[in-house]
This record gives sequence, C-alpha cells and structure tokens, in this order.
Amino acid sequence: MGNPITVNMPLQKDLPSHASTHPLAGQSMSGAEVVVQVLADEGVGVLFGYSGGAILPVYDAVFRYNATHLSPLGGEPMPLIVPANEQGAGFMAAGYARASGKVGVAIVTSGPGATNMVTPVRDAMSDSVPMVVICGQVPTGALGSDAFQEAPVSNIMSPCAKHVFLLTDPERLEATLRTAFEIARSGRPGPVVVDIPKDVQNTTLTFAGEGTLPIPGYRARQHAIQTARVDDAQCDAFFDALAKARRPLIYAGGGVIAGEASATLRAFVAQFGLPVTTTLMGLGAIDTTEPLALHMLGMHGTAYANYAVEDCDFLLALGARFDDRVASVPDRFAPHARFIAQIDIDPAEIGKVKSVHWHHHGDLDRTLSRLHQFGVRHGFNFGAEGRYAHWHDHIGALKQTHALNYDRESPLIQPQAVIEAINRHTQGRAVISTGVGQHQMWAAQYFDFREPRHWLTSGSMGTMGFGLPAAIGAQFARRDAVVIDIDGDASIRMNLGELETVTTYGLPVKVVVLNNIGDGMVRQWQKLFFRGRFASSDKSLHKKDFIKAAQADGFEWAKRLEDKAELAATIADFIAFEGPAFLEVMIDPDAGVYPMVGPGATYAQMITGDFIPSRVAPAEVGDSKSDMF
Amino acid sequence: MKHTLSILLQNESGALMRVAGLFAARHCNIDSLTVAATRDPAVSQLTLVMHGADDTVEQIIKQTRKLVDVIEVTHPAASTP
Repeated sequence: MGNPITVNMPLQKDLPSHASTHPLAGQSMSGAEVVVQVLADEGVGVLFGYSGGAILPVYDAVFRYNATHLSPLGGEPMPLIVPANEQGAGFMAAGYARASGKVGVAIVTSGPGATNMVTPVRDAMSDSVPMVVICGQVPTGALGSDAFQEAPVSNIMSPCAKHVFLLTDPERLEATLRTAFEIARSGRPGPVVVDIPKDVQNTTLTFAGEGTLPIPGYRARQHAIQTARVDDAQCDAFFDALAKARRPLIYAGGGVIAGEASATLRAFVAQFGLPVTTTLMGLGAIDTTEPLALHMLGMHGTAYANYAVEDCDFLLALGARFDDRVASVPDRFAPHARFIAQIDIDPAEIGKVKSVHWHHHGDLDRTLSRLHQFGVRHGFNFGAEGRYAHWHDHIGALKQTHALNYDRESPLIQPQAVIEAINRHTQGRAVISTGVGQHQMWAAQYFDFREPRHWLTSGSMGTMGFGLPAAIGAQFARRDAVVIDIDGDASIRMNLGELETVTTYGLPVKVVVLNNIGDGMVRQWQKLFFRGRFASSDKSLHKKDFIKAAQADGFEWAKRLEDKAELAATIADFIAFEGPAFLEVMIDPDAGVYPMVGPGATYAQMITGDFIPSRVAPAEVGDSKSDMF
Repeated sequence: MKHTLSILLQNESGALMRVAGLFAARHCNIDSLTVAATRDPAVSQLTLVMHGADDTVEQIIKQTRKLVDVIEVTHPAASTP
C-alpha cells in the first residue's frame, strides 16, 4: 500500500525559505538557553517548577535571562515560582492557564520531579487545559540504564498527555519546543510534555529563531477543523428543527470556555431565545444570573436545570461530551428531545456517548457565529418575537419552585451559607478555585459566575489538592482579581505545603476551608449506599490545627469561624483583607450535597433532599453492589 | 467482527507505544500488529488486526487519529471472522 500523503520529514526551518527575522537568529546558544529563548518568544510570563540535577542547566539559563532582561511591567520577565512539591507546580501552571487561556508552563527535574507531575498532566488532559511541561532527563547516554533519578517519562506520560517529546537530537530542540506550544494550544487544548536529557541542555547550538517540526497528520486534521464550515443545507436543517421545537435547550460545556465562544453564545441566546444550562466545566460560559441561565446540570446540578433537560424537546450540545456526571444513563438523558445537535472541535466526541441528529465538528465560536448569521439572514428572531414564551415561563417557574435551598434554620453553620455570604461580596466576579468533593459542588451551585475563566476546578479527573496551587497560578494570571480557593479539610491537606508558597510570593490569595472533619462526599456516598459505614472517611482523630498551620506559613490573617452569628462579619473582614488570608469554617458535618442524581440513576430519579421540592416522590437509593461510580 | 486497520505513523520516539497503549487503555485487544518500513524512512506502516463491535472500532479509529504522530488511519471494508 502506498502512502496517501507525502511527508517531508526535514525540519521546516531546513526547507528553502526566507532568512529568519529573529534578532537572535544565528547566535550560538546552549540547549538550555534555547529553551528559555523559545519560552520568551512564546510569550511565557511566569514559570512554575522545582529544581533538581537533570534540569539545572535550564534553571541556570532562566536565572541568567531574568538577571539580564526586564519585564515591561518592571521586575523579572519570567519569574520562576517554586512550589513545595512538583504537583503544586503543575496545578499552578494549570490554574494560570485556566484563568488566562494562555499556555501554562511548568519545569521540573527527572525521575521523581517528573512523576510528581503526572497527576497535573493527566488532570489538564482530562479538562483540555493547554500546558507545556518541560522535564529534565538523565543524559542520552544513560537513558535506560536505571540511572539516578531516571524514570521512563515518555512511556509514563504518553497515555496521560496530548503529546510527549523525548528529545534525543539536540538539533531538533528548538523546533520541538515551538511545536509543543502549537500542539498545546491548537484544536482541543491539552498538556504537552517535553523530556530533555541533560546533555541536550548543555549542547552548543545555533539558534534559528524559527521553525517547527513536521507533524503532517496533526496539522492536516487541524486544518480540516479550522476550515470546516457548516453549509447552507446543514444550517437549514438546524433551523428547521429549531423552528419546530417548543422547548429548546442549550447544554454548554467546557468547550465554550476553551474555545473563547462565550460572547458568541450569549449573542446566540439573545437572538434565538434558548435557555442554557452548563456543565461543571462550562460555568461562566453564560452569566448565571440571567433569566435564561439554568446554572449547572448533572449529578449535582440544580433541580431546575435537570428538570429542563427532562422537559426539553430540542437539545444543542456545545463543547460538551455527555460524560457520566451529566448523562449517567445516556439512553434516558433528555428523553423527550426529538432533535439533538452537537458541535465539538473533537470529532471523537461526536456521538461517542449518545447518538445525535445533527452535528458539526469544528471551531465552536466560528460555527455558532455562522449559525447565528444564517438565522439572522433568514429572519429568525425567535428571541425578540417570544416564540418560546411558554417555555420561558415554564423555566421561570422551575427556577422558582425548585430553587437551590438548604437548612437555613440550623444552629450549625451550613456550607451553602458560607458560599452565599462570600458571593454577596464578590458578585460573581471573583476567580474561584476548589478542591474536590462536597465543597466543590456547593461552590459550583451557590456562586454566581458572570464571566468565563473565573471558575477553576478539577472536573474530569476530580483531583483533590487542586484548589490551593490552582489559586496561586490564577493569581499570577490575574494580578488584579480577587482569587479565592474554596477548599475542604481533606482536599487542602493534599497540597497543604503550598500555603507557604502563597506567603513566599506575597500573593493576596484567599483560602477558605469548609471543615466537616472528614471526606464529606465519601461520607455522603457511604450514608446513601453503604449503610453509614464510614470506612476511612472520618477525620475526628486528626490533630491538625489549621489556623496554627496557616500562621506558621506566614498568614497574618488566619481565623476559625465556629459561630453562625459571626458569619457575615467574618466574611466581610476576610474578603476586605489586603494580603493572603486563611479562613477555616467549622460547618455542619452532616450537610449533604443536593440535588443528587445517584450513580446509574436518571434525572427522573433525582433526589432533591429535604429543602428543595421535588416534582416526583423520592426514588429508592441504590446499594453498594452497584458498579456505577 | 474482525477489523483490519492500516495506520501510517511518523517514526518518532515512542510512537508505536502510543498507538499500542491507546488500544490497551481503551480496552481493545490487538490480535496482530505488523510494522513495516515505507519508501519514506521517516514513516512506518502499521497493519493492525482486532476484534470489536463496529461502533467500538469507529471510536478507536477516531481516538487513534488524535495521536500527533499518526498521519492517517484507514479501515478497509470490515471483514468477517
């Protein structure tokens, strides 16, 4: 069989072309200096990483670069932020990337440095976050010899990352790094790992100032995505179905955020009048305070969003992948939708979980704009003409009747009240990061989200310990913003060492620990499915004094809140504090996250708890024999 | 149902592992795998035989196309066992 595509393998810089216009082209540099120069050329303004033997040449080059260059804002142009643990650096880079949309960069050493980075890389892959991770590696001659601090990084990272490069040819270093950025940010974004043996860092090279690797298959597929256009017949089919619909709904995912399609989505909603529910990753795609916004759907989505999914007859999925936290039972998801449309940049997501009637794989922003323009040109003003007025009334009634609620009369502090109190100050404008578990879901439910990139959470991987380092990274991306880590007592323990990183760099990060003395979400599942046998989830014997811990790490403002009467005043004081602040709130340990669509359950079986009215009798809960997770 | 996939792959470090690893991670058993050189020394030709339902194969092909080193995946008409 012949090759359907002719491939030119020499580096593109070797192809006859114009001379590079880079001011440093032709200069002699070490591999390490090449690394730093490409980072600078790619616009990298901050690095996160931990040093070690195999990455020392790059660290030295960063040091020298910062000593000889000045940022336009004053200070070092590429400060290197050092965490307590490499995992922290990975989540800082991810927090930076999520809050800014730019590529986050982490640099670590070989062996344990690199393996500590596996979790953040996988986390970024699962949530489509653009990152470049540079790992030092033992010298090429020692590869495969079980050398000190050697780990098979390429093997380990390959299935976890969007792509991995092991650089054994110094001549390809420059082009590889540039290509790593291209891959990280193009198409569906993701993390790219570049493993660089120490001898490659020390090799003397001539800087080309341009050039990328040939990746013909990848580029051809990206080109197809970039040029994919919804034709008139497809637009017709879409609007035919929408015109026939009486209860259309948009289900928007993280792709709207990653694809910078939020403004286009809002215009589309205004024009055509479709209510919107978002996934956990899609929060902020639309202003959650708007009448047509239904906040989050899914396992812990709002009851009114889930009921709207049950009731809709037309569903438009935008950059959303029908995952098990949304569509636990795909066949029963949106059971009355006669028409399901899906737009995604990743062809592999189309019809992966649920077959759809209409789809397009392409750039979300451009596709939605194209549909919008087509609709306007054909005189569709479904929004202004009130075509879906009955449906809007129904949505309004659902929002009112099944509003989020909790035990407001309890003498104990309810976690939801804490989020509401913070939200009264931040009004949906703060950047919020979280760990994973109950506190994450309460934050998702009770905060307003007015803009994209204000909500940083480990969605798909569900990595405990994400919140604090992500907040640190986000504060570097958004120096102006109020950045708050909403954490749990168990989650924050996982990366507690990063408290010191906050104060080391004088970041005004606000940390809230909702302390329920244990793994709250695990306990909730044990209550529901394991007859209350709290295997390993109780932390009442743990001795940590979080306030002393925060003070030991240099937090001047560190307080514990135990009295409900002091909630409002304490929160006001906490938010108003200029510098880093740490607030531990002793919450009702029995508070649960509701609504809950149990694992393997349909939305019709949603449990709304004691404080949110349900429209059906509560469903039977499952048992521990269920394989659903 | 038996399926034979033809995969053109850039000869990069770890490329073969990434293809094989993808199938393993997605719970897809490879019955046989042949790697051959092509006229272009930078490109290898993989011929992969597997058993699976049609939609499983369709999904694994889409996932294989996401690998950066993969130039193209073709799936000549599915053959019966």
